[in-house]
Amino acid sequence: MADLGRAALIVTLGLTVYAAVAGAWAARAHRRRLAASAGNALFAALGSTLVASAVLLSALLRHDFSFTYVADHTSTELPTSYSISAFWGGQEGSLLLWLLILCGYSAAAVFLNRRRAPDLVVWTVPVLGAVSTFFAFMLVAVSSPFATQTAPAQGAGLNPSLQNPYMLAHPPLLYLGYVGLTVPFAFGMGALLAGRTDERWIVATRRWTLVAWTALGIGQLIGAHWAYVEVGWGGYYAWDPVENAALMPWLAATAFLHSVMIQEKRGMLKVWNVLLVILAFCLSLFGTFLTRSGVINSIHSFTESSLGPWFLGFICVVVATSLALVFWRLPLLRSKTRLESLVSREAAFLYNNLLLVALCLTILWGVVFPMVSDLAVGTSRTIGRPYYDFFLRTFGLPLLLLMGIGPLIAWRRASLRSLGKTFLWPAAISVGLGLVLVAFGAGSSKPGLVAYTFSAFVLATIVLEFVRGTRATGSFTRLVSRNRRRYGGYIVHAAIVLLAIGIAGSSAYGSSAERKLLPGQTMRVGGYTLAYRSLTQHRDPNHLAIRAAVDMYRGRTLVARVEPGKNDYFAEQQVSNEMAIHTDWLRAEDVDVIADQIEPGGAIYFKALVKPLVNLLWLAGLVFLCGSLITLWPDPREERRLAARYYALAHG
Amino acid sequence: MIALSVAAALAVFLLYTSAFGRGTPTISPGQLPGTHGRVSVVGTVVGKPTGDGHQQALRFVMRDRDGTKTVPVVYRGSVPDLFKTGREVVIDGTLVDGTLRAVPGSLVTKCPSKYAPAKSA
Repeated sequence: MADLGRAALIVTLGLTVYAAVAGAWAARAHRRRLAASAGNALFAALGSTLVASAVLLSALLRHDFSFTYVADHTSTELPTSYSISAFWGGQEGSLLLWLLILCGYSAAAVFLNRRRAPDLVVWTVPVLGAVSTFFAFMLVAVSSPFATQTAPAQGAGLNPSLQNPYMLAHPPLLYLGYVGLTVPFAFGMGALLAGRTDERWIVATRRWTLVAWTALGIGQLIGAHWAYVEVGWGGYYAWDPVENAALMPWLAATAFLHSVMIQEKRGMLKVWNVLLVILAFCLSLFGTFLTRSGVINSIHSFTESSLGPWFLGFICVVVATSLALVFWRLPLLRSKTRLESLVSREAAFLYNNLLLVALCLTILWGVVFPMVSDLAVGTSRTIGRPYYDFFLRTFGLPLLLLMGIGPLIAWRRASLRSLGKTFLWPAAISVGLGLVLVAFGAGSSKPGLVAYTFSAFVLATIVLEFVRGTRATGSFTRLVSRNRRRYGGYIVHAAIVLLAIGIAGSSAYGSSAERKLLPGQTMRVGGYTLAYRSLTQHRDPNHLAIRAAVDMYRGRTLVARVEPGKNDYFAEQQVSNEMAIHTDWLRAEDVDVIADQIEPGGAIYFKALVKPLVNLLWLAGLVFLCGSLITLWPDPREERRLAARYYALAHG
Repeated sequence: MIALSVAAALAVFLLYTSAFGRGTPTISPGQLPGTHGRVSVVGTVVGKPTGDGHQQALRFVMRDRDGTKTVPVVYRGSVPDLFKTGREVVIDGTLVDGTLRAVPGSLVTKCPSKYAPAKSA
């Protein structure tokens, strides 16, 4: 079986090399049939990668420990669903998943755009082929999931933190996002190579970017929820390099999604867009490099692996080649129009882009700082949470405000009078709400208060837009379905506002307490009284569950009984913290109870946290998904418009 | 205009980094002697730790990952589940009279990676 997997990967490598080399030659020499054959090679590569993945999956399900990978990541006690998730629980499997998704995206993107934009696709195929070649080569030569051994009786099992339903969805979604950024990158490079620097590559890849961006966003939120529920320290984001690794490409892609609209509408920012797509793609590669190379100290602590130098080399090649391409095509990338006013939609988009990229780059600086300082002064210095929090506030709060202003301001040039008319109500509402909040004591945190008022402003503008639009068209559904991009975008903005409120509420207005309790004793935290009753334990198939029964009171009334504790996993020989969360929907806050340390006598060091509004984060995820789906949904009218435009561009 | 905004963003960044952004040095126990102020130390736990971190301070010895130099550590605060002899840990603190006085709550264990689990010998 392992031989079949190995062979399938070698076939994939051959096909991707063919797609890259023959595709490039065909595009240069204008050989149409050869170009078509190179595109077909990408379809075939998807087939052979599917075979390899099926081999690994079946080995995981059969617990075939003669596969080193299977023995290292599963055990016979592991439930079936987690045996499947072990596919991406380790390095080799993750790489295979990456290649599989890349082949899937490539085949679909080539298939869907072949007719529409043939002159673009001939140059996109070799780029996709080259990127896939790198991953196929890694899997064949450097890090094979099909290494075999004499089968041990039992496997090492899966890390307990990964034995969680979230881990079924979180890594594949992140990969869908990371890898999905390859498509706009490949089309961008294809456009440069072909010398077709009009907005067609952007139009052709808008949905691909949106899919990747949505997957990356949702994947991160699921990861945050997992960290919150499962890791049991009461937080959801720690600015850890590995978390930042996913945030950075998302920020770059967010900037890209906004700036492409300027190119579509006004023919500006061409160079900027190409640079953004390169940045987003390289950051997604860099994320993988970070997590695999062991160069960074992270709580996630990845042992050093042989992949680091390979990835670094690949990133360097990608950066050098793509920048050289941009430089070569610079004459073709001149803007058709100029910025007319600093108070206009274009300018607002530009500010948004600068802030997003600034935030992205400051995070990048924080992430690479240990490496840079190691090279520069000999000691590796780490930058902590205050640095990131500072820049999130400095760049994030203006971004939040811009989200309310940008979509409503006129293109080209906006007059102050029209601005006043548009923003009078939202501004009044947010100031009013700000005063009410101060009266209720929200002034204890200034950034929190600013975040709340800005959020109210943006929400007010969004609601007003929907109300005005519905009045004009007469029907809410017609309004949205006629202009999916715009109103879907507003819904996504609303999601970001919810996210901002959730982050501000849970980080600026929370409270916490720590105490050692014996059974029968109580502690207080933020208006709640916690009474520790008893300690119990029971045996589950693959772990021993130890639970403390804690009664939670508000005043005299019993609110809930929660059971924080620990799980002791047998095969993995690890203990995991099982935090108890009580969600109070009326007060819109969570109470988290952690049994931090359990002593043999039954005494427990409890840690309790009250997190206001933290659930808005998860709600934001749902709203975000809705908004993205609305913008993504195919729109026949838009398709016709685009078809006409393609025709004009190809023949004009 | 673009140049101006970029310059403004850069200025904020530089001001902040020059004022606060020196970062905490991450070093190994062997590099500790002679340091002043707060550092972040990475090393392996050796010997048998004593105390629970709450009632009595947790005391343990850290050794260079690939070396023999060690430093005793005194720590208060929550002790991660994965903390035990042989684990690699990261902890912040200041060196006082040859002992690392740790910042409460700063102890972090580096768990055997999810991407490459430690092979049992």
